[in-house]
Amino acid sequence: MSEESTILSVGIDIGTSTTQVIFSRLTFKNSAGYFAVPHIAIVDKEVVYKSNIHMTPLKNRVMIDGEKVRNIVAEEFRKSGYKPTDTQTGAVIITGESARKENSEIVLRELSDFAGEFVVSTAGPDLEAIIAGKGSGARQYSIDNQCTVANLDIGGGTTNVVLFDAGEVIAKGCVDIGGRLVKVTSDGRVEYISDSVLKMTASDGLSLNIGDEAQYTKIYRIGEIMAELLYRWLCREDDRLLASITTPGSSQFKFHKPIRAICFSGGVADCIYHPAEGSWMRYGDMGVVLGEAIRASRLFSDFRVIEAKETIRATVVGAGSYTTSVSGSTITYNRDVFPLKNIPVLKLSDEEQQVCFSGQTGDLAEKLRWMQRQSDSKQLILAMKGKPNPSYMEVKRLAACLVSVLDALLPEGQPMLIVLECDMAKALGQMMMQLPTVHPRDVICIDSVQVDQNDFVDMGKPLVDGLVIPVVVKTLIFG
Amino acid sequence: MLTQSQIDAIAEAVIQSMKPAPAPEEKRRMHRTTEIKKDRPVEASEVVPMDASFMMEKSPAERVSQKNGLADNEGLIDITSPEVKAIPLLDHVEDREGLERMIARTPARIGVGNCGPRLKTRTMLTLRADHAAARDAVFMDVSQELLDRMNLFTVATRCMDKTQFLTRPDLGRIFPPEGLETIKSKCVHDIDVQIYVSDGLSSTAVEANLENILPIIIEGLKAKGLKVGTPFFVKNGRVAAMDQISEALNATVTCVLLGERPGLATAESMSAYIAYKATVGMPEARRTVVSNIHSRGIPAVEAGAYIVDVIQKILEAKASGVELKK
Repeated sequence: MSEESTILSVGIDIGTSTTQVIFSRLTFKNSAGYFAVPHIAIVDKEVVYKSNIHMTPLKNRVMIDGEKVRNIVAEEFRKSGYKPTDTQTGAVIITGESARKENSEIVLRELSDFAGEFVVSTAGPDLEAIIAGKGSGARQYSIDNQCTVANLDIGGGTTNVVLFDAGEVIAKGCVDIGGRLVKVTSDGRVEYISDSVLKMTASDGLSLNIGDEAQYTKIYRIGEIMAELLYRWLCREDDRLLASITTPGSSQFKFHKPIRAICFSGGVADCIYHPAEGSWMRYGDMGVVLGEAIRASRLFSDFRVIEAKETIRATVVGAGSYTTSVSGSTITYNRDVFPLKNIPVLKLSDEEQQVCFSGQTGDLAEKLRWMQRQSDSKQLILAMKGKPNPSYMEVKRLAACLVSVLDALLPEGQPMLIVLECDMAKALGQMMMQLPTVHPRDVICIDSVQVDQNDFVDMGKPLVDGLVIPVVVKTLIFG
Repeated sequence: MLTQSQIDAIAEAVIQSMKPAPAPEEKRRMHRTTEIKKDRPVEASEVVPMDASFMMEKSPAERVSQKNGLADNEGLIDITSPEVKAIPLLDHVEDREGLERMIARTPARIGVGNCGPRLKTRTMLTLRADHAAARDAVFMDVSQELLDRMNLFTVATRCMDKTQFLTRPDLGRIFPPEGLETIKSKCVHDIDVQIYVSDGLSSTAVEANLENILPIIIEGLKAKGLKVGTPFFVKNGRVAAMDQISEALNATVTCVLLGERPGLATAESMSAYIAYKATVGMPEARRTVVSNIHSRGIPAVEAGAYIVDVIQKILEAKASGVELKK
């Protein structure tokens, strides 16, 4: 009997400025004692290969050059020694300004040889912040120390912030502050100034124009303004300038608790944590100066700053190591039909769930028909919270309700897929399997997984003696 | 001589003291805020909703007091309830929310503070109340009402009463000849699986879990095409009583659902002990156990579904206990 399983996960991050690939090995292990019901958890996430950091090949300012991206990924697979068939899970994340539908379609097409089995998702600013915060180790710190930790992922164009409270995301947001918002030519002239920087210089009375000589003092002043804006953001101060540079489509960074520690990731983080010798213009942008300004700012003197586990690779490590989770350890599936990919979720509210627990089928049938009209997928997952300590009769009524509705409405041969939060999936699944159906149907019922309406779910091959299945919940997807 | 204003003041004080006592609901709210929340430095607005939930959901103690018509208990709180235990007693907490999260993760009594070198009165009382619940679990009998509802007949071991059951573990493992006769005559023989229920050291555990766990196991096993024996109840039973039952009925697998020795954390914990071809005198290592079946461990109905799988695995492997794990 094997008590441990490992799977290989790949993470690919295609951002505005850089493209990276990592491989990580996830270890699933039974952590419960000999006399207890098994409890399988992901006990280790080891990054086994890190690619070089490539500049993202672009056709124009926003469109990705799919063929060149494909070459980069193929080359990194070759260098790592892994074949596409070695990976069981993973994610391709398209971030920053590249996160648009056309790019997602290009990547999906070009990487299908590698990514046939992966998640391809375009991360909006919010999701990107969360992924980076997981990859940087900020989330783990907030769990280990049971405190609030803000992770600031400072990239080329934007700063994505996420606030974790004991592992839970309680706030997230994004502003147009980054290292490449002022670019300089190799002979020291200003080449590009972003709209957000223009707003900053205007409010400060600073004069900076394209073609000017790039003076250190002027650029440093911009860095100071950016650092001060970030500080005010974390202190929840109202600021008109700050409001004007909030990234479109991002959430308001609102929360009601003091921040206990902060952590930096993204390209600029290296310049913050490890100031190096050399010309400040060596990357052709203001990144180095922004790092210096942040290090000298109130962000460092007023907050406890923790060391990031990953800086520039936080997002790709987050994508590769933290997108896969694990189901509860007492679940039901009548046979191995996995992997299942991109299944849309129909989530029942607490009230709707209560109706099902009482055995009434009317509302559920109606909701299911509505979902089937919305989605072109033949399969769907019925998700609900469940109950912490349900009675036998409650589960029995629920099973009868679900089977009668799902069997009547799902196309022939499609499995009945149930995802619950509370530990009751084995009981519910077992009862569902005992009930007769018009068409022969598979029953897959898992718990300890939280999903929401509009999510998509992947379920991998069963692990650790078939006790659990790996699950990837995707909040955003195109394709 | 008293002045008129002094007389007025005295009269006012007397009138105040003669005002009728607050209504019960109001009293309870006052009770809670002053007794439990007194060291909680929060706004008043936060206190009210919590109190409201307390009033809607009556604690077990309150339900009992209502059933017995003990009006005196009106307004008393159940200090052993999870809601009350979740409130830290420690003074001057640096990170109150952090402490509450830690308390929620363990049944251990953390964040209870102290009074000099000793426990606070409330902690002491809670300990004694929990201990009393544990003693009740051991000494009470499983109600006949429940056994009737589940359609279980009762067979007693050689123990005459609870005292003998506690002092003579050996007698809790064997049946008197007439008891064994009852089992043989009332039950189906030569079965794949014999399931029965026993009080063990906690009747409370049987009361709390039996109705949710027994039917799902029996249904699950039958759905797998297995021949399941007649379930019954063994009074004053130890785990190893299953060995005599297994031999008497010629069961391939025997499974007992039994109340575990209660601790100060919970008195509702049940375990299932399962053995392949159990025989009297066999090593304990041949028993497979599924433990911690209670509302805050593995829910009874989920445990039942899991036990079905475990029994199937035992039948396939033709082994149980340590031998199954090999």
